[in-house]
Amino acid sequence: MKTEKPPFLGFGLGLRPQHYEEILSGSPTVDWFEVLSENYMIAGGQPLHILDQICERYPIVMHGVSMSIASTAPLDMDYLRDLKTLAERVNPKWISDHLCWTGVHGVNLHDLLPIPYTEEALNHVVDRVSKVQDVLGRRLTLENVSSYVTFGQSEMSEWEFVSEVANRADCWLLFDVNNVYVSAFNHGFSTDDFLQGIPRDRVVQFHVAGHSHEDDHIVDTHDHPVCDEVWDFYREAVTHFGPVSTMIERDDNIPPLAEVVAELDHARKIAGEVAERAQLTAAE
Amino acid sequence: MSSFKDFQDSFQRGILERDDTILSDVKDSTTESRSVLIGVYRHAYVARLAEILGDDYEQVHAYLGDEGFARLVKAYIDANPSDKRNARWFGRHMPTFARETAPFSNHREVSEIAALEKALSDAFDGPNAEPLAIDQLAALAVDDWPQLTFQPHPTAIRLTFTTNAAAIWSALKDETAPPDLVRYPEPQALLVWRQDFMARFRPLDPEESMMWNETTKGVRFGILCEMVAMFGGEDDAEIRAATYLRDWIDSGLLAGYEVE
Ligand SMILES: [Fe+2]
Repeated sequence: MKTEKPPFLGFGLGLRPQHYEEILSGSPTVDWFEVLSENYMIAGGQPLHILDQICERYPIVMHGVSMSIASTAPLDMDYLRDLKTLAERVNPKWISDHLCWTGVHGVNLHDLLPIPYTEEALNHVVDRVSKVQDVLGRRLTLENVSSYVTFGQSEMSEWEFVSEVANRADCWLLFDVNNVYVSAFNHGFSTDDFLQGIPRDRVVQFHVAGHSHEDDHIVDTHDHPVCDEVWDFYREAVTHFGPVSTMIERDDNIPPLAEVVAELDHARKIAGEVAERAQLTAAE
Repeated sequence: MSSFKDFQDSFQRGILERDDTILSDVKDSTTESRSVLIGVYRHAYVARLAEILGDDYEQVHAYLGDEGFARLVKAYIDANPSDKRNARWFGRHMPTFARETAPFSNHREVSEIAALEKALSDAFDGPNAEPLAIDQLAALAVDDWPQLTFQPHPTAIRLTFTTNAAAIWSALKDETAPPDLVRYPEPQALLVWRQDFMARFRPLDPEESMMWNETTKGVRFGILCEMVAMFGGEDDAEIRAATYLRDWIDSGLLAGYEVE
């Protein structure tokens, strides 16, 4: 099994079909791309043809939405086989999905559903991650999702749950800065508690994204530019974790490539400032 | 306290059937009630699936308008909980659903526009195969020709329509007013396939449609010529058959041949 910690890739973007042409003709200053696995788990045609070209030019990571790692339904071996086939084609630096479930009883709700943070759920997830890692022959990377509910039966905080999964299943973490911000707002916990609660050596990727405010809660819609509060939290995350491969995640209202590249440059600038400060402090 | 399995069962029923059992597990937040919070998931579920169907069936949407399409989408979502991991396949039952479900079943063109959109999507990301090139046939001996069978390109599919749904689709796609609905006395065929990464379609006249259908069954070229002669008359039958074949090759509709 591939177990060494993946490299720092720099600053990347989610690959979106709206940007295919510009990427292939313009070679934008993007260090790497994250591809949505399900979009390429298809038979053939243009999407895979373009993916092959982008894989030749950029490092790639794969990001899925339907592994349903926390589901109590049996593992979907067909899905894992197709995912592995795609991984053989793409040769990704890592494969990620979300620490959530998407359905039971053969139904897929196409949503990232919340988990009660119990010892029982933890044992279940840890066991599933180990099995999936065996099938894929590599460590999995799991992302914290944003949630809108908390459950009476929860026995620990989200960050304790996430950390325990990572440590016990020996997997990597994708730290979604926006999701932590959204969940902290909705559930009234401190983003700093979450940050401090996550083991430094487990985090291999950041997601930075926008969201929308609806009345008294925030929905993680990924359809807005990144807001100042999330940028501030990103700065804290970089300070805490050090250099971590960072990506702007935009799923809806997709703007021209230049606009997301500009957001990515902003992330680069923040990370640069943090690194500079760290050097100065070290030199003192 | 329910087990994790019971929890997921109850949460899913809370979304799919709007069953409120799950509410006893959920806590109110400082600002919102538990039912509002579960409502976020209930709303997101329907909204996401509706968005998927809207992307898959843009011209059905344009034809029915927002209200009509919303009604179709709601009925579809209620009747077809997604059973695939990949959202790509969620809408695959739409042509059948629209054909069989009132009031859409009274308007066959709705199902047929959906069938065309589905076929185009399927052709777009369907299996790859190198198209048969005319040069590959150049070396064949004259005697081989009657023994030839052809493999259709794996993306090629023949649809039969009872209305001018294809013309309606084309007009809507170009954002122009669709033509008046025409119901055909006899169903008419069209072919959908992918060429040079583009999904395409074109109508088939009855004779070509018959020959295509027989070709896909592996009927030899010699027999195909006889069938064309029977179908449309002896004169020039071989030329007509060869012309269809040549056009299929030029269009990337064939992926190989064998000499039986
Ligand atoms: Fe994310």
